[in-house]
Amino acid sequence: MRALEPWVIRPLQDFVSESSARLTLLMTASGQVVAQHGFTGALDLMSAAALGAAIISSSSEIARVMDWPPFRNLVHQGQRQAHYLAWFDTPRGRWIALVVFGTETNLGLVQVFFEQMVEELAAAAPVESPPKEVLAVDFERELNASLRALFGR
Amino acid sequence: MIRDYKALLEPLTRLRGVRGAMVVAADDGVVVVDALMDGMKGKALAALAAALASRIVDLSTRASFGSARFIQLQAAEGSLLLVPATEQLLLVTVTGRDVPLGLTRLEMLKAAERMR
Amino acid sequence: MIEDIRALTAQLAADPTSLVFLRLGEALRQRGQLEAAQKVALTGLSRYPHLPDAHDLYARILADRHDYANAFDEWDMVLRIAPNHVGANKGIGFLYYRAGDRENAVRHLQLALAADPGDDGLRSAIDRLGGGGEVWDTPEAAQPEITEPLPARTPPAPDPFFGFEGSVNRLLLASADGLRLGGGLASTAGEDVSEVAAALVSGAAREATRAAKLLDLGEWRHVTVECGDLSFCLVQPTSDTGLIAAMDTALPVGQLHFLAERASKAATSWLERVR
Repeated sequence: MRALEPWVIRPLQDFVSESSARLTLLMTASGQVVAQHGFTGALDLMSAAALGAAIISSSSEIARVMDWPPFRNLVHQGQRQAHYLAWFDTPRGRWIALVVFGTETNLGLVQVFFEQMVEELAAAAPVESPPKEVLAVDFERELNASLRALFGR
Repeated sequence: MIRDYKALLEPLTRLRGVRGAMVVAADDGVVVVDALMDGMKGKALAALAAALASRIVDLSTRASFGSARFIQLQAAEGSLLLVPATEQLLLVTVTGRDVPLGLTRLEMLKAAERMR
Repeated sequence: MIEDIRALTAQLAADPTSLVFLRLGEALRQRGQLEAAQKVALTGLSRYPHLPDAHDLYARILADRHDYANAFDEWDMVLRIAPNHVGANKGIGFLYYRAGDRENAVRHLQLALAADPGDDGLRSAIDRLGGGGEVWDTPEAAQPEITEPLPARTPPAPDPFFGFEGSVNRLLLASADGLRLGGGLASTAGEDVSEVAAALVSGAAREATRAAKLLDLGEWRHVTVECGDLSFCLVQPTSDTGLIAAMDTALPVGQLHFLAERASKAATSWLERVR
């Protein structure tokens, strides 16, 4: 488990241990990876972060076009493992989580402990100035910067 | 077989000491339909009930005890009662202390039968 | 016949969790490669600390190295886990014989024979010992006398469910890491399901603990499961063990609770004795 900010570690650790998630990635809406558990390399993480943010973005756009409220979470159910992708608001702005879990747990447990983690993150977050607006041009730069920080590349 | 699961839960929730009942998707651990007293954590109940049922069904199947048809988790302050009604659905009831468990069990088995 | 060490090594390398280390360790021991055999046995033991055959293997290696005191301890450990283990009773019998204690030697050899009545060699050894003759006329018997006295031996604790009806097929005590500590379980068809049940007990107990805690149900007491053929009751004698009591589903469930409660008390006191 690695995190750019130490206050994220405890809530994430609790979530991983209670939900039995195999992989977890927390990032800001601009693609900056905040913390990760279970990823072994920068390449995997980079792909997951970029694709996860893109999926959230495109599904939000579908909801907007259809005049629906935005989807808060999406589940991709596979035979042996599933992906749970969700956005949530924190005192530090909107974050996105990507969780990969297998048959050793279930979607309900992932959701229950995810909600608990969101509450814990909100309580643990240090007060800071409001988040800046996300520009597309920032996305790649911030993603690369966070990968360097997390994997030393 | 009936599909009106809400109506199916009614006789259960009328029993003395029953705090709530629900139908849960067995694999996902999410609520299909519920009838719970105020303050009960429905999502957590569904997830935890499905996780426990999954472990117990795995144990009874792999130990060749036959398929599990009624599961009772007895705790100091109450019970969690589970009936794997179909392959996909789990019938769940939560009770307080000192309740007529025998009667609740019979009602649950009857309800599960109607779900098949 | 000594097994192919290379093939066994390859099997173990392919699956380090495999129990093939037992055969590899024994093959190395029989070839006199005691250093390598000991490494294999100790690695296996670190993975399976409650496996009687792993302790038995290590004890035989130690005995070959003339480290009789530690061999005794290892066989003693085997008997704590599996009181009827043939190899351990034979081993301890041999050590008593070497120490000149014929009475205890005969006792352990008889225990081994009771568990393996078809062992004619063992039967004749007991007869010879009982008649005052020598048993091990092998080179081992001609080795120098043991200078270090054998440790005073405490009798092995019997199985936790000794004296219970169904102690070998309806009651099972398992450790938190999924290993059988005592008793046994069999399906209605008579198939031994102890190992598979032991492996799954702790996971079920952990799930019960979590559900009871998060649903504010207080401390859990038992999980009772009615199945098609056998019903069972899961309890925790201690926080790091799980116990299953099983009964025919046709019998009243109250009897099952009663059995589980009694077995749990017996397991608790057994654990206090062996720990």
